[in-house]
Amino acid sequence: MGSGIEGICPFRVEERKLTDSSSVDATLRAMLADVLGLGEDRAAALTEDSGLFGELPEFDSMAVATVLTEMEDRLGILIDDDEIDGEIFETYGNLLAFSLRKVTD
Amino acid sequence: MSEHRLRIDPAGTPRATVLIVPPLFEEANRTRRTLVLAMRALSAERFAAVLPDLPGQNESLVPLVEVNLDRWQDALAEVVSEIDGPTIIASFRGGALIDHKAQAAAWWRLAPVGGASLLRTLMRARVSADREAGVTSSLEGLQDEAKTAPQLLAGNRLSPAMIAQLGASEAQAVEPLRSVGLGANGIAGTPLWLRAEPGEDAAMAGAIAADISAWSKTCGIS
Repeated sequence: MGSGIEGICPFRVEERKLTDSSSVDATLRAMLADVLGLGEDRAAALTEDSGLFGELPEFDSMAVATVLTEMEDRLGILIDDDEIDGEIFETYGNLLAFSLRKVTD
Repeated sequence: MSEHRLRIDPAGTPRATVLIVPPLFEEANRTRRTLVLAMRALSAERFAAVLPDLPGQNESLVPLVEVNLDRWQDALAEVVSEIDGPTIIASFRGGALIDHKAQAAAWWRLAPVGGASLLRTLMRARVSADREAGVTSSLEGLQDEAKTAPQLLAGNRLSPAMIAQLGASEAQAVEPLRSVGLGANGIAGTPLWLRAEPGEDAAMAGAIAADISAWSKTCGIS
């Protein structure tokens, strides 16, 4: 078991094939609706240019953390600290591009 | 334990008592309203429902930094030992990590989550808040520091023991158990525990109560 702290890295990257852009897009919208309480309509209305962090009042640092863990779970990816900069959360388009890059890595 | 317990009794003699084990940390606040609505729905089905404060959470006077998962497991075991009649434990999310030491007639879990995933989110919230404040921190650095000193993670001061236990914790096998998720084959509703702003969902609360009630019948509690 060790100290358990090693366990923070989740070793459960499942072999889910979620690589096509429409399913990644749908997964991201549903996830943002869940975390930010956007409702289906607002989530569906997000465009590439829609602002996220700094624009949506619900999108605080705790929401950023929740979004990252949910992206890992739902997209079957692992996100390292140093991959994350402010730009990823600037717009929905940036978040989608980052996610597509991660699932096809 | 001398912690507050919210208890909702049915009219007449209860069929059994449902002990609600809430999600951990901020997720408990986000779901509390809906959990209490589920308790009211359970009481309409002739169950008594009890929602205890975990030491260090909610109205507890115990400093959070003094508790860990072992202590929470023991506290819940004590609560159940004081309940007359059969007890069904209904745990939510991280509550499933601490529900196995208590002696119950049956267990029911909604969307159980591993401790590592909860810890990762807490640590990320800290890194993200640090970044906003112009401080550079990293998950790796925090993990190192957490081996020897308490860490303030998303407003929770957690001891090295708590952080180590969370990182390694998984829901344990219990019997009989019904474990359900959200969606068509589980409970219809949304993951309120993820919400940045707390919400409530009366329909989901009703679905939770109905599912627990049906499960209890298959366990011979009528």
